[in-house]
Amino acid sequence: MSVLPVLLLAVPLIGCLAVLGMRRAAVLVGVLTTGITFAIAVAIAFAVDYTRPGTHLVTDAPWIPPLGIRFHLGVDGVSVPLVVLTALLCFLSMIYVARREGTPERPHSFVSLVLLTEVGMLGTFTALDLLLFFVFFEVVLVPMYALIAGWGGAGRGPAARQFILYTLLGSGVLLVGLLVIYGHTSTLDMVELAGRDGAGMSRAVQVIAFVLVAGGLAVKVPMWPLHTWLPDAHSEAPTVGSVLLAGVLLKMGTYGLVRIAVPVLPEGALAVAPFLGAFGVIGIVYAALACLAQRDLKRLIAFSSVGHMGFVLLGIATLTPAGMNAALFANIAHGLITGLLFFLAGGMAERFGSTDMDRIGGGTLAVTPRLSVLLIIAAVASFGLPGLAGFWGEMLAMLAAFDPAAGLNRPLYLVFMVVAGLGALLTAAYFLVMLRRVVQGTSPRRQGVLDVTPVEYLAWAPLVVLVFVVGLWPGLVLVPTVDAVRFYLGGL
Amino acid sequence: MLALQPPPQAPIDAPQIEYSAILPVLILLGAACIGVLVEAFVSKASRWAAQVTLSLLAILGAGLAFVLYVTDSPERGLTTLYRTIAVDRPALFLWGTLLALGLGALLLIADRTVERGGAFVAQAGIRPGTVQDRAQMASGGMQTEVFPLTLFALSGMMIFCAANDLLTMFIALEVLSLPLYLMCGLARRRRLISQESAVKYFLLGAFASAFFLYGLALLYGYAGSVKLADIANAAAGSAASDTLLFGGFGLLVVGLMFKASVGPFHAWTPDVYQGSPTPITAFMAACTKVAAFGGILRVLTVGFESTSWEWRGVLWVVAVASMVIGAVLGLTQTDIKRMLAYSSIAHAGFLLVGALALRPEGLSGTLFYLLTYGFTTLAAFGAVSLVRDSNGEATHLSQWAGLAKRSPVLAWVFAFLLLAMAGIPLTSGFIGKFVVFSAGIQDGMAPLVVIALVASAVAAFFYLRVIVLMFFSDPAPDGPTVTVPGTFTTAAITLGVLVTLVLGLVPAFALDWAGTGTFAF
Amino acid sequence: MHGYFGAYGLVALLLVVGAVFVTVALTANRLLRPARPTPQKLLTYECGVDPVGGGWAQSYVRYYVFTFLYVVFAVDAVFLFPWATVFAAPGFGVATLVEMFVFLGFLAVGILYAWRKGVLSWA
Repeated sequence: MSVLPVLLLAVPLIGCLAVLGMRRAAVLVGVLTTGITFAIAVAIAFAVDYTRPGTHLVTDAPWIPPLGIRFHLGVDGVSVPLVVLTALLCFLSMIYVARREGTPERPHSFVSLVLLTEVGMLGTFTALDLLLFFVFFEVVLVPMYALIAGWGGAGRGPAARQFILYTLLGSGVLLVGLLVIYGHTSTLDMVELAGRDGAGMSRAVQVIAFVLVAGGLAVKVPMWPLHTWLPDAHSEAPTVGSVLLAGVLLKMGTYGLVRIAVPVLPEGALAVAPFLGAFGVIGIVYAALACLAQRDLKRLIAFSSVGHMGFVLLGIATLTPAGMNAALFANIAHGLITGLLFFLAGGMAERFGSTDMDRIGGGTLAVTPRLSVLLIIAAVASFGLPGLAGFWGEMLAMLAAFDPAAGLNRPLYLVFMVVAGLGALLTAAYFLVMLRRVVQGTSPRRQGVLDVTPVEYLAWAPLVVLVFVVGLWPGLVLVPTVDAVRFYLGGL
Repeated sequence: MLALQPPPQAPIDAPQIEYSAILPVLILLGAACIGVLVEAFVSKASRWAAQVTLSLLAILGAGLAFVLYVTDSPERGLTTLYRTIAVDRPALFLWGTLLALGLGALLLIADRTVERGGAFVAQAGIRPGTVQDRAQMASGGMQTEVFPLTLFALSGMMIFCAANDLLTMFIALEVLSLPLYLMCGLARRRRLISQESAVKYFLLGAFASAFFLYGLALLYGYAGSVKLADIANAAAGSAASDTLLFGGFGLLVVGLMFKASVGPFHAWTPDVYQGSPTPITAFMAACTKVAAFGGILRVLTVGFESTSWEWRGVLWVVAVASMVIGAVLGLTQTDIKRMLAYSSIAHAGFLLVGALALRPEGLSGTLFYLLTYGFTTLAAFGAVSLVRDSNGEATHLSQWAGLAKRSPVLAWVFAFLLLAMAGIPLTSGFIGKFVVFSAGIQDGMAPLVVIALVASAVAAFFYLRVIVLMFFSDPAPDGPTVTVPGTFTTAAITLGVLVTLVLGLVPAFALDWAGTGTFAF
Repeated sequence: MHGYFGAYGLVALLLVVGAVFVTVALTANRLLRPARPTPQKLLTYECGVDPVGGGWAQSYVRYYVFTFLYVVFAVDAVFLFPWATVFAAPGFGVATLVEMFVFLGFLAVGILYAWRKGVLSWA
């Protein structure tokens, strides 16, 4: 019984409740709380011995015995990078919010909601009981909805509504899938179910359950064509909301696929994976084409998320260890890069009054050189320049598609690989077009526009550094995941 | 002369009456009769205090008798009064729920701080719209008959849950309904709509009771007995025509579904919920639902389980209809009491899914859901009664805009209760839905559960709309205010919120209670 | 079969004869009588004097109350009669007496309430 995961969840929860009573001190308490949480997350990352099989730092206590639901937390190499990413992004978001000009209205509510979201996100990644996973999955919805609806942009009302209703519907379908699994195996323990490798459920049941679970998670991922909530939600959310949405919430969907859907329902996965791959690559190309048509910076970044998650889905759909590792890597990379992109978009909006690329006017390199350089780095990393984080995710996913699992149609996957490659090309295209429109060219006359402030450097620099470090040394993420994938998804 | 004397009778054996088992009901009935006498003989000035004291003592006394009995009640349950009342574990669970909910409702009914003189009319005989009517609206008196009526209704509900034969069930149905018909018409303000809702409830309820009775008659013709167990035996091996059985069952179900406000027999619910005084709406929404589903569970499980294959399909359709009607029509509502009425119709559909899963998990799941739903609804209607303007309650949705700025406590409480009704995790509503739906899936009703979850998501929309309205809109300048409630209403709302929270975080003990034992017959 | 349906047939025949009788009588009346209506002839009959007021009149709720009480006591009597014939027989203990008085007690409470509320006075 390890106390670290419980502490990981308890600290933000205590902070969330404590902050409600404060006024101006709320943001500082928020920074402190997320800082401590990040420290715990890093401690967890170092405390885990990745070469040992099984889950580590386990807490297992009964919660609702009549239903067999247990308060079962634990981490392994699959979840640790995501936990660290979540804690990091929340910490940096709080620092960003702590700027004098960045403090939102009603700061105590804002900070409290962000901390509650953090509890939900961390809980999702550390839960090892199906229903506990679902509970934390749902806990994230309401505070995120409140963040968008209360502090968002002009179109926040409909965007927030669409967000929560779409994801609630997806959660409902996910719950049915989890109930089908429970009904046939009488256990909700993820580790045990993964170990059983689908025993006790016939092929038909597995396929149905997989379709339900993956369908429910697909709304969150988001998988084309269930992605329509994303552009509105991301572009209307406040900066911190967008960062957390893109940086962490999307990962919850793919994490669910890797942690629950594939290991627990192997035959179902084998039957449905080609569809996942197909929708994934369609998403890559669709998103790229949509991005080429965008005029608004945040919407462009939002659609780019759909494309990147398409690569993650492709990796998962190959059902090989290489593919899984690629997916997990791409998750982290996307979290870092897109988180940074949304931060920068927020910075742009503050300085130039809007995220509309025409309103920004171009030529920002002359006006705010450092901000523009950061934008260039982030965009270039996002389309997969070798040496930066995004490259490995895309490359490993395509490499895995070259050699999918036995039982899958290889020519189909080769087609996927080619289409994904084309998509990568289009991704580069739209980012370069974006850069040309925003950063390059001559700028209209502007006065009094500040470049990157010290606090913003503090908030953004870790992400930039990590993008380089992870890009040059992918082992930082791959070393934990490779062993965990081998142990947890041994059936592949 | 001698020929006119009746022949000597053999000694009859008096029925065995387990007084300790039915003592809660007897206490309530006795207190209700004393309440009527209090009405007759106590002077007007001290009537309210006498009635409130009497009613509270009655419920607490009944609760005490209940607790003393339940601690060593037999596992298999017992039947008493010539096997007409079955005091088994499900019945005891429902009795406990009804007593607790009844206490909460009574506190809401007795409150006189939210509105001067209480939510009930001072003299029901005065015609609405006259000068005397305006005078009574401002006066401090109330028709205190409401208290004995509430106790009668509550005891009727308790017998309804424990009735082992259809005739007793019918009598209990009438005993619980007639006071409710009356109480719906006794609002202090907006009397015309209140009286209209009473007339509607009475007429439709009379029709539904007639359906119930006709179904009962047909079933008696089929089985030769009104006892549920005998009907089940007859269905298993009778040579009589099945038409009588299923015709009777169909008519019976119409009567039961009406009371439980399951669609498509729900037409009375929005109007009656909207027109009644809010404490009565709370009482109806919570306690009548519990009692009606208690009856439905008993009838379906004890009486008709052997023939379930024939009638399951029809009740599937009824459940789907209820969920869809409740969710979809709730979207268009502009009055908050009507919106909560449609949400109760949707919840009735979910409960029916649990009742249709004829297995122990279905029974315990439905009982648990009834417990959680009852408390959430009670507190929700209690909160609704606090938002007032110069004309009384402000129930139009547009008047609720920006309420969070005026009264954050009320807004947060109401938001929490709405999230519980939507089934968000960490509230009791989620656990209730989980147990009911997992029982449904285990019984092979997966399509029904999928529809239920979709309906849940749709219903979540109108719950969220109210939350958005309260928190993220600006209040109207001449909008309503939130009255600070007195002890009674505060206690009732707090009770509901606490139960909703506790059963969301640690429901294990309540689930255990709901899961012990099955029906006795 | 003749015997089974014969009885129903007789009843049906009687119904038809009754309906036919009424129809023939009224039709014959209409055909044979003179019909020369005047405004005074078409006035509503009100005991030979000129009618006053409109066609509708409000009835008094006290009629309803007394009917209501009558029904209650009629049903009470339905339960009392068979009980009265057997309660004194040997073997039926005091329990039967007490039971009936409990039943009457409930009704008495209701009557007391009605009496105190002034419902039982005519005016």
